[in-house]
Amino acid sequence: MRASRTLNNPLFFLLPALLLIIVFYIIPLVITTWVSFTPLRNWRITLLSKYIGLENYRDLFYFITHDPDGILVLKTTVVFVVFTLIVNVLGGLLLAIATYIIEEKVSLTFRLLWLLPRMTPLAVFGLIWYYFFYGSPQGTLNAFLLHLGLIDKPYFWGTDPRLLPWSAWAIIVFVNGLVGVSYGMIIFYSAFKSIPPELITAAKVDGASTWQIIRHILVPMTRWHLVFVTVWQLLSLVTSYTHLFVLVDWRIVDKWHGTTWALFVFNEAFGDVKNQGLAAAAAVVLVIIGVLLGLVTLRIMRFSQTTPEPKGDL
Amino acid sequence: MEGSRGDSVVVTVTLVNVTKKFGSVVAVDNVSLEIPDGKFTALLGPSGSGKTTLLYLIAGIYKPTRGKILFDERDVTKLKPNERNIGLVFQNYALYPHMKVFDNIAFPLRLAKKPKSYIEERVKRIARMLNIDHLLDRYPAQLSGGQQQRVALARALVKEPAVLLLDEPLSNIDAILRIRIRSELKRLQRDLGITTIYVTHDQSEALAMADKIVVIHNGRVQQEGTPHEVYRYPRNVFVASFIGNPPTNIFRASVDQSEAPCVLLPGSKYCPTGLLAKKLREARLREVLVGFRPEDAEIRGEVSGDGVYLYGEVYTIEPLGRENIITLRINGELVKVTAPPSETVRIGDKVYLRIPRDKIMLFHPKTEENLALI
Repeated sequence: MRASRTLNNPLFFLLPALLLIIVFYIIPLVITTWVSFTPLRNWRITLLSKYIGLENYRDLFYFITHDPDGILVLKTTVVFVVFTLIVNVLGGLLLAIATYIIEEKVSLTFRLLWLLPRMTPLAVFGLIWYYFFYGSPQGTLNAFLLHLGLIDKPYFWGTDPRLLPWSAWAIIVFVNGLVGVSYGMIIFYSAFKSIPPELITAAKVDGASTWQIIRHILVPMTRWHLVFVTVWQLLSLVTSYTHLFVLVDWRIVDKWHGTTWALFVFNEAFGDVKNQGLAAAAAVVLVIIGVLLGLVTLRIMRFSQTTPEPKGDL
Repeated sequence: MEGSRGDSVVVTVTLVNVTKKFGSVVAVDNVSLEIPDGKFTALLGPSGSGKTTLLYLIAGIYKPTRGKILFDERDVTKLKPNERNIGLVFQNYALYPHMKVFDNIAFPLRLAKKPKSYIEERVKRIARMLNIDHLLDRYPAQLSGGQQQRVALARALVKEPAVLLLDEPLSNIDAILRIRIRSELKRLQRDLGITTIYVTHDQSEALAMADKIVVIHNGRVQQEGTPHEVYRYPRNVFVASFIGNPPTNIFRASVDQSEAPCVLLPGSKYCPTGLLAKKLREARLREVLVGFRPEDAEIRGEVSGDGVYLYGEVYTIEPLGRENIITLRINGELVKVTAPPSETVRIGDKVYLRIPRDKIMLFHPKTEENLALI
């Protein structure tokens, strides 16, 4: 009897997940929020008891409105998120369509190739781009362009002030896009594969061209996958920084042209500055932005729940 | 019924030595066939027989490995489906779930870049004809199976095709509705006068609806003819046992060739006359496959009068209301016959079966062909 009562309690099933969320999300969030109200620097724990109110938030606001580096962090974040999102979603869609249309054998190889960047360890991946964009004539891109005669001297592509800001932004979008695009590809490809093949045949019999099948059947029928991938990628782009960290740390791109808000939080806390109070304030703001974007997501998702056609008597 | 087809073409579909292979598997094996214009033709066969492949070949979804397909005199072998002027209804209807009924039906016309007013008028006309004009604003998932089937039919007919192809359109509908739609579909075909090819594995559907039945097995045409022909004069054992419910009883029997050839049956012997006797003698068969339809046999208490008699024991009785199906064990073989509900035999009774001489079919024991038809 007792066992069954325990099993009937929904909390019993929620507990493992709740514990994980509490330990790894709620508690750190509370600590971070607390830290954002203290002048914590260089991990001097004693400072944690000193309450300084909104000072960190005031500093942060000043940084992003008056400091050129801060303004650049904002710009870089927006450019990075918007353009990488476009690359990841539209690129993923195009790749999925391509792999769906071509023969299965070729398609499998093609998809595996596109998954390589995702499977490559970060350090190796970083090294590849280090050599690729390196500023000497031996750097892959320079060597290639020099050989073609398109440039007459090598460039430090990500850091040369004459090429900034768009060269650095192009690099961070390109490198992250190369990793991220396969996610959409896999999701869209499997979504396409789940469409009954008779629908495609029916459309062909009705006289639809390949383009018309894509436009009228494939894309409309995978609308919710599109929404999902867009939202998922948006949230992860806003918060992820690992590839950017390597690009910036190895001077492949200029520091402030490669630093998004998330990377700024990381560097502020763990980099040279070690201003954990300010980093915590920036992190809290980032969480709020994330929650807002998440709420927008929820709205869209709930919209999706109302649209599936109600079944019933006619 | 509105929707006269005076302005449209009706074609004869001809297949000449058509073979279709998938890798090393031969799905359709050297089929030559003529499907008459304006008629309802059923391609009948068990699953895996190649009937749907044959339909898809006619539709242009598959291209034949060898052979030609003609619509009247026009060679369409290499044409795409949309260049053939066909309408196709799929087994699962293949309605576009994200489009309303109106858009589903209008889709082929929109792809053909027809003017908006024309599309509107055509869709409404076909929807009225099929009694789905009140459903145009719904999504396919909001419709019942029978309604979805009509929408699929409307989408196929809205192009005014020269040939209507139906791939088991009734198999997803429940039994009672199926019989109603069966007669509606037959009537619709008659009114439109459109060449219709109908794929089915259900022999009763083929018998009920078709003007012509083509029986297919192992990728080959086993027999073609009117429902009466394939039912009454099956060309081989496969056709005999595939068509009819319960199917034709078939069992092995030895032949006494000492004088006039006689088939030795449990309870009597059957000595055919005329052409059949001649064939039996010429082939020097020692054995033969005997067949008769369940409804052609009659239960008797004793041998009296002309006919072929079999002696056996009642094994089971299945009352179906209108008739009883009685299974008898005759010399170790189970044989099914139909009997009126008034029949009073009980399980275990020893009885005779009387079959009129002209209802006995004899098949070659090896080739399984009907001896009367070769």
